[in-house]
Amino acid sequence: MATTIKVDPLTRIEGHLAVEVNIESVGGTQQVVDAKCSGTAFRGFEPILANRDPRDAVYYTQRICGVCPTSHAQASALCLEQAFGVTPPTNGRVIRNLILGADHIQSHVLHFYHLAALDYINTTGILNKGPWVPRYVTSDMISGPTASMLVEHYVQALAIRRKAHEMGAIFGAKLPCNSTIVCGGTTEVVSAEKINDFRALLTEIRAFVDDVYIPDVQALGSLFPQYFSLGAGCGNLLAFGVFDLDNAGNTKLLARGRYTEGAYGSVDPAQIVEYVKYSWYTDASGNKNPAVGITEPYVGKPGAYSWDKAPRYASKVHEAGPLARMWVNGDYRNGVSAMDRLVARALESKKVADAMDGWLNELVVSSPVYNQKSVPVSATGVGLTEAPRGALAHWIQISGSKIARYQVVTPTSWNASPKDDLEQKGPIEQALIGAPVADTAQPIEVLRIVHSFDPCLACTVH
Amino acid sequence: MNITRRDFLRASAAIVAARGLKESGVFALQQALAGQTAVPVIWLQGLGCNGDSVSLLNTIYYASADELLLNTIDLEYHPTVMAAAGDLAVSAAEDTEVAGGYVLVIEGAIPTGADGAYCTIWEGMTMQNALTTFAPNASFILAVGTCAAYGGMSAGAPNPTMCKGVTGVLGNLAKIINIPGCPAHPDWIVGTISYLLENGQAPPLDANRRPLMYFGNRIHDWCYDRRRFCGTNYKATQLSQPGCLQNLGCKGPQTYADCYMRKFNSGEKGRFGGNWCIGARSPCQGCVQPNYPDGMSPFFAG
Repeated sequence: MATTIKVDPLTRIEGHLAVEVNIESVGGTQQVVDAKCSGTAFRGFEPILANRDPRDAVYYTQRICGVCPTSHAQASALCLEQAFGVTPPTNGRVIRNLILGADHIQSHVLHFYHLAALDYINTTGILNKGPWVPRYVTSDMISGPTASMLVEHYVQALAIRRKAHEMGAIFGAKLPCNSTIVCGGTTEVVSAEKINDFRALLTEIRAFVDDVYIPDVQALGSLFPQYFSLGAGCGNLLAFGVFDLDNAGNTKLLARGRYTEGAYGSVDPAQIVEYVKYSWYTDASGNKNPAVGITEPYVGKPGAYSWDKAPRYASKVHEAGPLARMWVNGDYRNGVSAMDRLVARALESKKVADAMDGWLNELVVSSPVYNQKSVPVSATGVGLTEAPRGALAHWIQISGSKIARYQVVTPTSWNASPKDDLEQKGPIEQALIGAPVADTAQPIEVLRIVHSFDPCLACTVH
Repeated sequence: MNITRRDFLRASAAIVAARGLKESGVFALQQALAGQTAVPVIWLQGLGCNGDSVSLLNTIYYASADELLLNTIDLEYHPTVMAAAGDLAVSAAEDTEVAGGYVLVIEGAIPTGADGAYCTIWEGMTMQNALTTFAPNASFILAVGTCAAYGGMSAGAPNPTMCKGVTGVLGNLAKIINIPGCPAHPDWIVGTISYLLENGQAPPLDANRRPLMYFGNRIHDWCYDRRRFCGTNYKATQLSQPGCLQNLGCKGPQTYADCYMRKFNSGEKGRFGGNWCIGARSPCQGCVQPNYPDGMSPFFAG
């Protein structure tokens, strides 16, 4: 018998997401046969940015997301730098990588322990109050001493993610929402004391990633092996790349690339189109590359079900995220599934944290961090980077030295997208179809698959 | 299988011994298990970015995040951290509302355009309706972050969704306390909550309903960099240079907060943080002020 479940709010994510699934018995197994992802909030950052001083975009766009503001600062700075015709000096580039790296690690640790893990651990009897009660309790969840140990790590991870932010603030002034990443480099300068303080925190965080985070994720994988074959989704992976290793951004720790229908390819931002047939925007807002994008809300649009547009690369659905990055770089190609996303995220944390230690050696005390360039009268720019949860891009058009157009496409814009004009479902929607749901009153399988993408809905819709 | 408290404590001790962990987390868990009473909190998110919730997790000066969550507050509803989802999560908020006597925290602005359709927090519940539904039975209402307090970035011109802050929707109720900041400093949030718990009443507030203990002084009057160069007329002319940032767009002269002293991302309990915007040579954006961002931008000058 067919059943429809709406999980609204879908919690332990950032922002406002509702997921509706239709469940039927197929071959004797009760499973998801259709799924809809709805972003249920719209802020309007793109119209808000119009007519402002272009330099302000680094501060405005950070307020799109309180979990990955640094990534928006970086995307915005890169986009402005292309429009202004300037690149940061080496110190500025490295400082930005260090702040970004700190925010990446805090986000990954937060995601695994504080957002995703509660889907797998029965904390009943350990954590007996809000926000851990009420909760779903299913028979496959981890309990007993292993659950107690993971709860202890949950608590420990609260401190580790805080320390990752303390580390980033050494060069970022404060986190979340740093104030030092600007068009042309950074405002904060290098000192021997700052390098030492940063390295001390980084050493502690690396030990946690190596000794606790990665073993815990691997243990989870061995306890829930079925999740290596659940939640695959579209199978196409897209990465814009991040952590520039030269000042022009030609080489990166995590390179740009994509994996489409089994073949590797390069990335051309001109191939990105946002569709709105099923989104609450006017027809004029749809079927456009973001360089000429328009965002006009249409409340109550017939047939629409999300505030997210549906971005597609060369008309094809793509997934963004740590798995996409690690896959196109050849660092992790075990498979595409809910559990592979968790594993790739943990392994990427190590790759980034280890690289950060080396970047500290590239900093030079009293060398410049910033290259000044005045606002152009008329220019365009695009900035491609990666937020912790995937590919992020900003587009700017400057006219009369003011912002004429600003468009943002975030990782969860891709992942949580609704259907497009070609009737193709978004990556999370596709990942849910085929998932078994043992107990429709407690659709834990839905949560596990959605959480594996680490959705961020404030970013998605902005 | 449920384990008893004794089993848990034994297991925890074994984990600590085996892994060489610090005991603080386990100690906090033991206290929570001892059944201390904690104040119920309902935390609702409107149009914002979650930055205030992430900032709160950075708390350490008054209490660490685990102490806060395990011992100090009973966080009955918070969409980012709560275990429950969907209808089960909604029931947690509704049950707490019926019981009353909770602290209602609002993060993010409240869109009032299109009858609130720009933000629904669960099926059939707009943020606008949620605020008016959950406000009456709350002991106190904390508007955390500049969006919740005054509209903030979400209400930036042309304010596409007609966002308002909490007082913009409810009026100047005595039980509303604004804790602005983009995001709010965790000490401002936790310190205000602990004041409420100790005193049973709101701390002294300024005309913008902000606690004077955190928002009483003008940044420019206490700014380390201005004082250091006072009399020398040493003003920076380009970002990343030392000196007073007044010619580069700094809003310290119009902004009231204790960032100059408290700083951000404190590393130890009872200690202030290590860095802040002006200390890192970036101009103050005036993010705690009611006219942020429109009245405070352009952020850069020169």
